[in-house]
Amino acid sequence: MSGLQRIARPAAASPDWSRLAVRARRLGALRRWSLVGFLTLVSIPILLPFFWVVVISFSARTGGVDSAVLWRACAVLVPCVLGYAAAHVLFPARQHRMVSAVVATAVAVAGLWLLVGSDLHLDNYRFLVSPNLVEEIRGAATAGGQFPWVWNAFFNSLAVAATSMAAKVTIATLAGYYLSRFAFRGRSLFLQSLLILEVFHPWMLTIPIFLVIFWVGLLNTLSAPILVLTVIDLPFFIFIMKGFFDAVPWDIEMSAMTDGATRRQAFWHVVLPQAYGGIIAISVLGFIRGWEEYVFVTALRTGNSYWVMSTYLYYVAEDVMGVDYGLVAAVSVFYMLPSLLLYLFLQKYLTQLTLGGVKG
Amino acid sequence: MARVELQNVTKDWGTAKAVDDISLSLEQGEFAAVLGPSGCGKSTTLFMLAGIYMPTRGDILFDGARVNDVEARDRNVGIVFQSYALYPNMTVLQNILFPLRFKKVPKAEAEKSAREIAELVEISSLLDRKPSQLSGGQQQRVALARALIKKPNLLLLDEPLSNLDATLRLSMRMEIRRIQRELGVTTILVTHDQIEAMTMADRIICMNAGRIEQEGTPEALYTRPETVFAASFIGSPPINLLPGELTADGLRIGETLLATRGETNARSVKLGIRPEHVVANGHGIPAEIISAEALGRETLYTARSALGDTRFLEATSAPKYKAGEQVRLSFDAAHSILFDAERDRRLEGVSAHA
Repeated sequence: MSGLQRIARPAAASPDWSRLAVRARRLGALRRWSLVGFLTLVSIPILLPFFWVVVISFSARTGGVDSAVLWRACAVLVPCVLGYAAAHVLFPARQHRMVSAVVATAVAVAGLWLLVGSDLHLDNYRFLVSPNLVEEIRGAATAGGQFPWVWNAFFNSLAVAATSMAAKVTIATLAGYYLSRFAFRGRSLFLQSLLILEVFHPWMLTIPIFLVIFWVGLLNTLSAPILVLTVIDLPFFIFIMKGFFDAVPWDIEMSAMTDGATRRQAFWHVVLPQAYGGIIAISVLGFIRGWEEYVFVTALRTGNSYWVMSTYLYYVAEDVMGVDYGLVAAVSVFYMLPSLLLYLFLQKYLTQLTLGGVKG
Repeated sequence: MARVELQNVTKDWGTAKAVDDISLSLEQGEFAAVLGPSGCGKSTTLFMLAGIYMPTRGDILFDGARVNDVEARDRNVGIVFQSYALYPNMTVLQNILFPLRFKKVPKAEAEKSAREIAELVEISSLLDRKPSQLSGGQQQRVALARALIKKPNLLLLDEPLSNLDATLRLSMRMEIRRIQRELGVTTILVTHDQIEAMTMADRIICMNAGRIEQEGTPEALYTRPETVFAASFIGSPPINLLPGELTADGLRIGETLLATRGETNARSVKLGIRPEHVVANGHGIPAEIISAEALGRETLYTARSALGDTRFLEATSAPKYKAGEQVRLSFDAAHSILFDAERDRRLEGVSAHA
């Protein structure tokens, strides 16, 4: 009994609570700031190449890159971006964030103008306005019209990305709904085989795909990469959409049908609007996969029958220009802009992707 | 507003019978409650009436016409789901208007009747909100408005009050009853809550394991339960059920012999007696109090005697007896209900008293 009492009772003198609290606060702050410092440090090598590409595209002149310009520009840009990131974390209010964004931009512009202003120019972006880039550089005789204007490649890429996206979204939505709502023979087998398809990397199938495309006569047409990209992404996208539909309660659908809707109307008016998050997410993913595709657009053409942005960039970098870093960087910036914008504006839907998965 | 009938309706899920050969009919404007434990087939019955499930056998009739093959959207049945099933992407007004969307009702006319119905269920100030911005009770009213706007042949309420807190449940009970009377719509309430069924419905249909145990007015079910299940499911605190043997001498429960009246064919029986009918008035069977629970208005005791453990109520707020105290229990013949233990039916013309 006395032993128990000794354990249960606190020591005679009560501890110095305020000292303990101060120590805990200090430790907490130390932990937090060392974490922030570490993450900032490791983010610099990831962020720097992006700044470099942008700076090079606006500053390099034919023949080389002036690294002093590069470093000076990054010395302005990196602190501005990190400063804005810190402000974004510290200020939850929208207008505070706006103010800090304006301040960061102003500081960046002023700093760039002061330090590297005289070195900046738009010459590397001439590929956007001159249809015969190669002829300008090498003389009319060499190119022979093989190398297209960038807008040609741009609209081809857009066609590949948008068409395959539309096909993927339509099929994945309908299939996901069907798999979520209807019981049919072989349903679980179908779901399992969808997963098994994910095991094989599509590049392993490059040669068989080439043969199939050749036999159906689609080689050297844009339909080939559109079809192949659609098929490759479908299993995963169907799974995502099934998860989103699984999360929509049955009651709502039954309610719509007793309210006079047909099954199709119930799907359209009531069920589908609740899967918009999933549709936007797979749209963005699907579009970007098509926009960035390189392997299959290269593999499924035998000459220069069509150009897309990835092949355009590749030829700019490797084949035609030699070492015009300024031009390569400018094309890279132009190429990455659409994906970047999509991510920026729709990232809140992309993060829902995991939510849908968990719910489903 | 229709007369609704079920004739020998059965619903099988594979080999399991969810609903087993039930027949019932509802008069126009009647308010009936289907009462039973979860899994008794009451929701399946409801969904068959709505046209979401097809009966395996049997017929469903609206105003005498067979509607088995009529699709859900053509039956003009209003349902309030347990989850309310509001359309989260639409405002309250759009939710209420949804059933009229497919009926080609002119827009102005539809909006007018939506506002009228919103007035009736008292949600006029909420029409521009989204369902997620409403409380449970408000969502319930929206669901009710949406079910009523199409002037349904039949209104089905699937556990409509189970997601509300106790006070709100009390007021919604009266509210739903008021609206139902005002519109005179034939209504079926599905619930596992006997108080809900007894307070709201004109008639209770008590279901168990896919079958109808008994149907009748709330008083009839309470005072003259036909089966042991109906007796035990209805009433709170539950009825005392004491197994015994009916003999020529009387009713033998354990070592005790109780006096009986009426026919005395020897058989196994269960004696049912409601807690409020057992009295501890100084004569009768000796018993020891083993627990006393203050319920507020009254106190519920459990007493151990030769009959077994028996619950009884005393109308005092503070417990009169303490655990361990000795009392004597008795009850009146008029309040005793005897069930044939084998056939599980009430025995007519026999009673016992102590």
